Amino acid sequence: MAISIQIDRVSREYGPVKALDDVTLDIKAGEFFTLLGSSGCGKSSLLKLIGGFDRQTSGRVAFDGKDVGNLPANKRPVNTVFQSLALFPHMSVAQNVGYGLRLKGLSGASLDSRINDALDLVELSGFGPRDVNLLSGGQRQRVALARALVMEPGILLLDEPLTGLDERLRQQMRDEFGRLHKRTGATFILVTHNQDEALSLSDRMAVMHKGRIEQVDAPACFFEMPANAFVARFVGIDTLLRPEKVVSNAGQTVATVGGQTLAVRTQGVVDAAASVIAIRPDRLFLAPQGAPHALTLTVVETTFRGLHRDLKLAFSDGQSLVIAIEADTDIGRLSAGQQVAVGLKPDAAVLISSAGLPPAG
Amino acid sequence: MMIREGLSNRILLWAITIAGLIVIYAPPLYLLAVSFNPALQPGLPRLSDLSVTWYAALPNDRALVGALQQSLMIATITAVLATGMSLMAALAYFELRAQRTAWFLTVILPMFVPGVIQGLALSAVFTRSGIKASSLTVIAGHLLWAMPFAFIVILTSFAAVRRSYLTAAADLGATWWRQFVDITLPLIRPGLISAFIFSFLLSLNEFTRAFYLAGRQNTLPVVLFGKMNSGASPVIYAMSGAIFLVSVACVALASLHFMLRRN
Repeated sequence: MAISIQIDRVSREYGPVKALDDVTLDIKAGEFFTLLGSSGCGKSSLLKLIGGFDRQTSGRVAFDGKDVGNLPANKRPVNTVFQSLALFPHMSVAQNVGYGLRLKGLSGASLDSRINDALDLVELSGFGPRDVNLLSGGQRQRVALARALVMEPGILLLDEPLTGLDERLRQQMRDEFGRLHKRTGATFILVTHNQDEALSLSDRMAVMHKGRIEQVDAPACFFEMPANAFVARFVGIDTLLRPEKVVSNAGQTVATVGGQTLAVRTQGVVDAAASVIAIRPDRLFLAPQGAPHALTLTVVETTFRGLHRDLKLAFSDGQSLVIAIEADTDIGRLSAGQQVAVGLKPDAAVLISSAGLPPAG
Repeated sequence: MMIREGLSNRILLWAITIAGLIVIYAPPLYLLAVSFNPALQPGLPRLSDLSVTWYAALPNDRALVGALQQSLMIATITAVLATGMSLMAALAYFELRAQRTAWFLTVILPMFVPGVIQGLALSAVFTRSGIKASSLTVIAGHLLWAMPFAFIVILTSFAAVRRSYLTAAADLGATWWRQFVDITLPLIRPGLISAFIFSFLLSLNEFTRAFYLAGRQNTLPVVLFGKMNSGASPVIYAMSGAIFLVSVACVALASLHFMLRRN
């Protein structure tokens, strides 16, 4: 039932603007795949091509290996939950949900039972006769989901479906998507700019930027090995340090920042000038004074963040990093200018390409 | 919450409202009163004189009844055609992107051509090309007059049809035609009804174009005008009164219908 998608060197140009620039992507059947990026990165353009609402300028889009370039939206085994929901305002909940099935020629008891099953699935049993215009935001969202799912699509597209909902509903609907993905087994493609959504739901995700895909991986890999500085920033690794030099020796790579050395993990060829060190804040800890391999840094400021405190520390060359420490850790009084020792857990620092970072001033 | 105005302001508002209503409704009500006066000279009847003499004579006035039938027939055909053509023009408007404004102006242009000129022009063209004046020529003239209005009304109603509804329908498997029938038509229905009523009334009222274009059978406004100038019998007041009463009854029925539906 689930369908795989092959996107092969696809570009979509609007005059001189490239919304998609030579994108190649394989999405497996039954996968929960997320296209993540800020607005204007091309993720919605890509979704439109999969849904058949737009046509690529060049390249090939295929479902299960078959080119679908000439298949219009109404003939594709794809259904969409639109960002605006686009519920038909002149139809009841049941009429909205049953519309696609009615077009397929279903009627009577079999139509009703399919509609009721779909409403049960999104926990809206008994809402059939209601007016869609009088439902709450979360309920409307569920109707839109039911309307797409009732078609038993091989591919379900979710276009920023949680935008505009409050935080509690967001959490709830997010769980719902995960549950429905397991229940239906369809290929789910989610488009979002919210990395929390992407991380918690996806089997794999793609980070997009300026019409290109920067990285495709399982969510955890984005933290282990971000492809470049842009991706690291996007997933929330804010500490990116420019190394003075990088020395590789017997499989061990050591970088120098502000006169201090730290071990870094690397991938492929190392070019110190085009690299930055991404540091995961959760793999840093305050070490006892004089501990081996610890960095000695100067306190800049501490910020209270509720469940934790951010401690901003500077190297001698002015570059800084942030450590999150538990709010009630007894670290005594830290005043600006004080020196502290910082230990690095294994794999805390990764040397990555500096692409996506503004050039050093 | 309603804001209570000061007393003097309220008196002023009511005075203006009542004055406005009098200006609008006094003339037709005066006409209505005249139609119940059995005297030959038009004037307000005394209460004791009220009679339906002229109404009784109405069905026997062949000229007036014929003109009324002609006008109703022309108005109905004009309204059907104007609504249908305006719907198609509006659909074209949404398909065209860059040339939208040009199309819009082209369709509404006849609205700005004075009736006298358009009537004369059409009459000249028809005569020249050997087309005899008939109901059809009047309908042609009225169509040019009513269609711009119907077009604007229908175009306005298209605001209810969001692009995303049609995309969603396509996503669920609807062809262009099904999207039109299932989504567009129900959403613009109020606009279609308004456009129909509007065109019907515009045609029923129209004088100048009909004056130039009518064949053997004149329309009601033309006949009424002729009869008034020739000082004919007060049956024309009964005819006006009857039309006024029917209009009021229609509006009352419509409001009743909406009030009942709301409850």
